[in-house]
Amino acid sequence: MLREFSYAIAAIGLAVSAQAHANENLLELQENPEYWATQLGNYQGNRYSELDQINRDNVDELRAQWQFSTGVLRGHEGGPLYVGDGKLYIHTPFPNKVFALDLEDEGRVVWTHEPNQDSRVIPVMCCDTVNRGLAYADGRLFIGQADNTLVALDSESGEVLWEAENGDHTKGETNTMSPLVVGDKVIMGISGGEFGVRGHMTAYNVETGEQEWRAYSNGPDEDVKIDPEETLMLGEPIGEEDLGETTWPDDEWKRGGGAPWGWVTYDPELDLIYYGTGNPGTWNPDQRAIDGEPADNKWAITVFARDPDTGEAKWVYQKVPFDEWDYDGVNENQLIDVEIDGEQRKGLAIIDRTGFGFLLDRENGELLVAEKFAPETNWASHYDMETGRPVVNEEYSTFRQGVDVNTTDICPTAMGAKNMQPSAYSPETGLLYAGINRICMNYEPYETEYTAGQPYVGATLTMMPAPQEDEENGMEGRMGSFIAWDPVKGEKAWEIDERFAVWSGALATAGDLAFYGTLEGYLKAVDIETGEELWRFKTPSGIIGNVNTFQYEGKQYIAVLSGVGGWAGIGLAAGLEDPEEGLGAVGAFAALDDYTKLGGVLTVFALPDA
Amino acid sequence: MFATKANTTEVGPIRQIGGKWLMLSLGIMGSMLTLMSAAIAEDDGNDVTNYTVKDGKVDQATYDGYEAYTRVCQACHGPDGLGSSFAPSLMEISETRTLGEFVATVANGQEIQPGKVMPSFADDQYVMNNVNNIYRYMKARAAGDVGRGRPDVIGDGDDKEASDSDSDQAE
Ligand code: HEC
Repeated sequence: MLREFSYAIAAIGLAVSAQAHANENLLELQENPEYWATQLGNYQGNRYSELDQINRDNVDELRAQWQFSTGVLRGHEGGPLYVGDGKLYIHTPFPNKVFALDLEDEGRVVWTHEPNQDSRVIPVMCCDTVNRGLAYADGRLFIGQADNTLVALDSESGEVLWEAENGDHTKGETNTMSPLVVGDKVIMGISGGEFGVRGHMTAYNVETGEQEWRAYSNGPDEDVKIDPEETLMLGEPIGEEDLGETTWPDDEWKRGGGAPWGWVTYDPELDLIYYGTGNPGTWNPDQRAIDGEPADNKWAITVFARDPDTGEAKWVYQKVPFDEWDYDGVNENQLIDVEIDGEQRKGLAIIDRTGFGFLLDRENGELLVAEKFAPETNWASHYDMETGRPVVNEEYSTFRQGVDVNTTDICPTAMGAKNMQPSAYSPETGLLYAGINRICMNYEPYETEYTAGQPYVGATLTMMPAPQEDEENGMEGRMGSFIAWDPVKGEKAWEIDERFAVWSGALATAGDLAFYGTLEGYLKAVDIETGEELWRFKTPSGIIGNVNTFQYEGKQYIAVLSGVGGWAGIGLAAGLEDPEEGLGAVGAFAALDDYTKLGGVLTVFALPDA
Repeated sequence: MFATKANTTEVGPIRQIGGKWLMLSLGIMGSMLTLMSAAIAEDDGNDVTNYTVKDGKVDQATYDGYEAYTRVCQACHGPDGLGSSFAPSLMEISETRTLGEFVATVANGQEIQPGKVMPSFADDQYVMNNVNNIYRYMKARAAGDVGRGRPDVIGDGDDKEASDSDSDQAE
């Protein structure tokens, strides 16, 4: 299916002529700044909008126009889509309802889709029953239900067009991620890293739902779709065969996790999809060592670049070999074009769970930059740029400290210095904008046994706020920040402290604004250059959804789902422990439960007289 | 606020992931289940909730309860029994539920509100062996005798077992 076309990809300011595989309809929609057609705004994952009706000078006039309750209490991740047909499409956590709302009529319900799912899937979801949203192409909406059913809906009627089975919840497989349509394929990962699943990424036919390819995250090369002679690692062919099998003890790779549950991005020009894999099975590193020594556990916590047509891996980069902290590598791979040492490079930037900001060459996977964006990060001192490996700090190595030993004060926590909340990138400032977590942990591994469909964790974890690097200016007990990150220099441009982890997806606009939501429920607009807060609105519940924008009948809207939950809601509801206070310290740090309660609501904002 | 739910005969559809408790939950409604699990609990005598706290340290069984809770239940019920956006505080629950009710819920699971699922742990030997200890730890937390975080064990870890009958018996 070779189609010929050439489009300007407005959001990255480049004229790209791509032969072939992007979904034409979706590319066309992405190009139009009036629409918000994919969860991340465009294939490159930039979450950037060229709209500037709402801008630095008038944002203080921004008003809520209407709200819509989803009737679902759990954590609401993801955000609304607008594809130019007068309807806003939203989704909910389990039971994964989908609503088409009429923009003409302040959110009147055009149709509702409510699947009937087995609630036994709920206990096998590690961290609330979240779902990161819909995908759209050619009059079809796609949603990955919690119970692993991938569904295609007719966007006009809400009618089910087809369903495909992507996994088995009795083995602990579930779905939380948003699919991505590339060409004639819907690309879909899997969740279940805490249940010892074997991670996979799968492509389904857009028209029929038939499976086209599946690439596993671990096991023999054939299953991972690696050719050791062709697939690159740090710019060179991997060379060795079956590393996905030989870097594990015994058959541990079969329950080796590597669940790719985050975001998929796509470069239409190189015709490659990019995504990262999660933690390697059990959190007890001892059970993943070979002869008492660390083993790489490939390809967990790895960035894959694959051909979307065949699934073949073009290159791999393992960010954390032999994980000892649950640093899932699923964060979004932002495709950005950068100048580095006077040279124009096709970059791939990650604000990673590990506390490091990475920049890679997205053509060959070469590592260009790895610097800490969360200064408290202490599990590794730095990355060795030759080997691409982290230099692990013995003191915080839960493997070296040992089984049944409580390794204390590791930063960041297992939640990561940044979790799934997608960042934004402005081609004008060249900066990434991201909500991050400032939380550390104690981690005690213990021996655990695998039973299909049961948690396969093997570590207990307690969390506390990260220490202040700056006693003078930092906010006391703060657990999050919103940062502007220079991916080339590998340094922060500015930072805003927040009481709680910032768990919402960011938005950057040509109106010189960056938007994000807080766990207390504030939606905030800040000056994209300085971080100065210009506007805020308190939504009914904490925000873990993504801030999206679109234009309808000449008016620019900002829309966001609020509804606290997710891992943030579980971990922070009661407040964290103060390590200094010892036993009996209750409420030393803010409890999220004192600020917000459950409940999913969509809020749509605009300027009053635009 | 939990008063109405305390009547376990009103417990709604009990969902099972499988195993030996399946027959029970299919054939017998809540009230009988409560009787059965109360009988199980009685085997342990009244000692089950008699935790010991001495100089801020706890007896081994209470510690085991902390550990089992943190390994298995914390992921949904939040740190140190405090509750989360996903599941209720088990500290509060331990004050309004008998041990029998508590054990029955852990064994059988529960789904009162749609989409709010407490899984069944009947097949999980480790949990079922420790459910009394979890209850005991929660009682100690609810009474304010044990704080947040990991408690130390009386006797500093080398003489763990014999600590139960020590002084400072709490309720
Ligand atoms: C997968 C998430 C999950 C895990 C793991 C979990 N629970 Fe629950 N639990 C829940 C939810 C959700 C509810 C509320 C159910 C409802 O309201 O119907 C609940 C309810 C309960 C209740 C009943 C409360 C009442 O109102 O009587 C008890 C007792 C309980 N859990 C104990 C435990 C214990 C002990 C563990 C660990 C061994 C545990 N739970 C592990 C999710 C979980």
